[in-house]
Amino acid sequence: MDPLGSYKSIISARATDKRILKRCQDGGIVSAVFIYGLENNILDGVIVADKEEGFRPVPKVATTPEEVLEAAGTKYTVSPNLSVLKSAIREYACEKVGVVGTPCQILSLRKALKYPVGFRHMVDKVKLLVGIFCMENFPYMGMRIIVEELCGVRIEDVVKMDIGKGKFWVYTRWGEVKSVKLKKTHPYEQSSCHVCTDYTAELADISTGSVGSPDGWSTVIIRNERGEEIINKMIEEGYLERRPIDEGKFGLGLLKKLALVKKEKNMKEIEHRKELGLPVPPDVCH
Amino acid sequence: MEDKITVAHVQLSSCCGCLISLVDTYEKFLDVLNSIDLVYCQTLMDAREIPEADVILVEGAVCLEDHHALEVAREVRKKGKTVVALGACAALGCITRFAKGGQMPKPVQGSFSSLTEIIRCDMAIPGCPPSPELILGVITALIKGDEEYLKPFRRYAVCKCESCGCDLIINVVNKSLCMGCGICSASCPTRAIEMVDGRPVVSPQLCVKCGVCSFQCPRIEI
Amino acid sequence: MAQTVDITPTTRHEGHAKLILEVDGEGIVSKAYYINTTPIRGFERMVVGRPAEFVPFAVMRICGICQTTHGIASCSAIEDAIGCEIPEDGRLLRELTGLGSRMHSHPIHHLLTLEDFVKPEEGDLKIEIIKLIQSMRKVGQLIVDTVGGEGIHPPNIVIGGMRTNISERAKAKLYYALRQFEKDAYRMYEIYQELIERFLEEVGIPDLGSHDYPYIASHTTYGDREAINWDGIVEIPPHRYYKDMKIAESTSLMIPLYEGVPAEGGPRARLVKFGNFRSGGGAMDINIARAKENLGAVYRALEILDELNINGKTRVTPEYRDGSGIGVHEAPRGMNTHFAEVGREGRIKSYRIIAASNWNFPVVEKAIEGYPHQYAEVIMRAFDM
Repeated sequence: MDPLGSYKSIISARATDKRILKRCQDGGIVSAVFIYGLENNILDGVIVADKEEGFRPVPKVATTPEEVLEAAGTKYTVSPNLSVLKSAIREYACEKVGVVGTPCQILSLRKALKYPVGFRHMVDKVKLLVGIFCMENFPYMGMRIIVEELCGVRIEDVVKMDIGKGKFWVYTRWGEVKSVKLKKTHPYEQSSCHVCTDYTAELADISTGSVGSPDGWSTVIIRNERGEEIINKMIEEGYLERRPIDEGKFGLGLLKKLALVKKEKNMKEIEHRKELGLPVPPDVCH
Repeated sequence: MEDKITVAHVQLSSCCGCLISLVDTYEKFLDVLNSIDLVYCQTLMDAREIPEADVILVEGAVCLEDHHALEVAREVRKKGKTVVALGACAALGCITRFAKGGQMPKPVQGSFSSLTEIIRCDMAIPGCPPSPELILGVITALIKGDEEYLKPFRRYAVCKCESCGCDLIINVVNKSLCMGCGICSASCPTRAIEMVDGRPVVSPQLCVKCGVCSFQCPRIEI
Repeated sequence: MAQTVDITPTTRHEGHAKLILEVDGEGIVSKAYYINTTPIRGFERMVVGRPAEFVPFAVMRICGICQTTHGIASCSAIEDAIGCEIPEDGRLLRELTGLGSRMHSHPIHHLLTLEDFVKPEEGDLKIEIIKLIQSMRKVGQLIVDTVGGEGIHPPNIVIGGMRTNISERAKAKLYYALRQFEKDAYRMYEIYQELIERFLEEVGIPDLGSHDYPYIASHTTYGDREAINWDGIVEIPPHRYYKDMKIAESTSLMIPLYEGVPAEGGPRARLVKFGNFRSGGGAMDINIARAKENLGAVYRALEILDELNINGKTRVTPEYRDGSGIGVHEAPRGMNTHFAEVGREGRIKSYRIIAASNWNFPVVEKAIEGYPHQYAEVIMRAFDM
């Protein structure tokens, strides 16, 4: 099986909108897709991870491009995005909802769409699932330790965090850049991530992340027609610029390698848990 | 007519909300009625005797102090090829878990058990109530014989759980399986679950024991 | 020759019940017993000793059709007990949720009574009406979903107000849905008037199901505890109401009396008390009153949307103290009252509910008496049991 799950095509892309590029993580794909969706009546509400003071993430229903922009950028800690799913379709009365999530959140939503026991009148209202690449996540205080103790940066000063080139990076509003090797951040990962074998959000309509593309660009995995339609339109209408994905070992090669690393490493953990008689998650994507 | 499966709906001690949930398929409800042969449903039609049926959907718990209810439960088992405990009262007890009797004019009625505890059920569906789309999905799968879709509900009929938020804590959070997606919180029909530090915090005083949070959790085998 | 006719179970209504009719030689009912055989889950006792927050969620589950009314009556009884004033926008949203519930419940009741009035050969008409009913219900439930949080057992109705306001878009969506409902409701009113008129003509008993009990109602669209003389209301055990002990022991209902006698609640009672609807007519009038109330509901709902400030506060944090209170809400079927006694820690000390159908059970018996027994269920259904 392909370590990236099933897909139709993979490209490198980035947003063309300067407002997005100024605030986004890599190529600004998630923000661009959601803003395009909202502006063109494809979506009328999107669930995103905004942040409060101290980089504390808050799931939010955004209904305007401005709200999407405010929430741009990756938070390297748990944001229970699906917890506001019902708000979106109830008091916000959205009928065309877009959701961004980590692979586990996308899987969770897919399950809810297949078995919507507690989700009255939801299924036909969720229109787009955008997944982000994820190796593991940190509990909020774990992230704080990485930022404040390992990188020595006051949390209030952080404007952006990033993972790349084997390091965890912290950018401050004073223009400084601090980093720490990922080896040192491992102790602060949440343990439940270690039983997940999905790196690229295999059940999303579109998956995206930095790995596999040059700086300032994002890799975009287009997984089905729904994803293909919106990405193609965005390229045609100039919302996104694209370039072919680098097929080599720093492009697709790296992406596949990392996806495999996650699968192999965490399958071992799953086996280990079984030996210990501990429960393991069902329906894992191998 | 010969191709349609016969379906009966039987209400025990419940609020009727599971049936209303099915009716909340709105314009599709007529299609549902056309796709099956509804042979018994006291709330919607005049049949007064439960006939034999391919599928009997039962909502509600069983009052042990009501002889009639126990008889109906046994009759359902005898007459239904497939008995489905529809909704949390039949599947898990739900709000009737809090009943203890003492109310006029029948203070003796106070012991309610889920249908799954009284008779062998072939399937059980949690939720207070299960969504219209889910019930429709189950009925469609029953018509098509889609066992893959029905599997979790077959398992659920024999699983033992508290059916409250505690299941989440014991089976997911305590087992280092919770990654904080928040689906449990959104699914809760009484909004009893708040996500704090990326983990569910359940207010026991608001939980009605409908079982939905655990069922929706992607980290629990169902 | 006199005989007893036993209809077990009665059909096309919520819950479990049976009719025992003593019928004279001409087939006329001389004595009717309408017995509620639903086992008692005991919500009044279930909530004692529990935190007040639990109560609305518990009591909503009394009924899957009119959960909203129990939620509202419950919250307002507890708020009355602790002297909690809810914000105006919370109150408006609550009333709106209640109306949404009425706008789904009334049409579903049209569905249950449909076969009493539509003939077997009128298949197309039946389909048309069912489609109309579902179209109306969709709007009613959209309101309960959007404002109440869930169409069945709405969790946004909480002590202190409403959990949340609605968005601008939600408000607009409700407006357009209500305008559709308005059209459908007029069509439904027309259809029901014609159907009932034809039915009564064919039956030849214009006052079928009439009774001489008074009406009880507190408000047209919401509920008003000030409108009722509570000293005049008692609830007695069936053992005292029925002379026949076997009957008394078989029913699950306490019998509420207003000034010493049963009283009819529901659409007709409200329209008579607060409008100029004909009083004292047959029970089929209630079916027409119900169809008419759909119109009152939609106009009040539109008015609420107009008055609602979507940025307004909807909830206050309740402060618990000793006290007792009354919460009354006009359920689709009639006046629904909750009585709560709350202790300092916010725990329930005692709780009593006089649900809408409690009022109508003894009235149904009276309405059936004096008419041919084959219409007993048709009369019963007019009351929406």
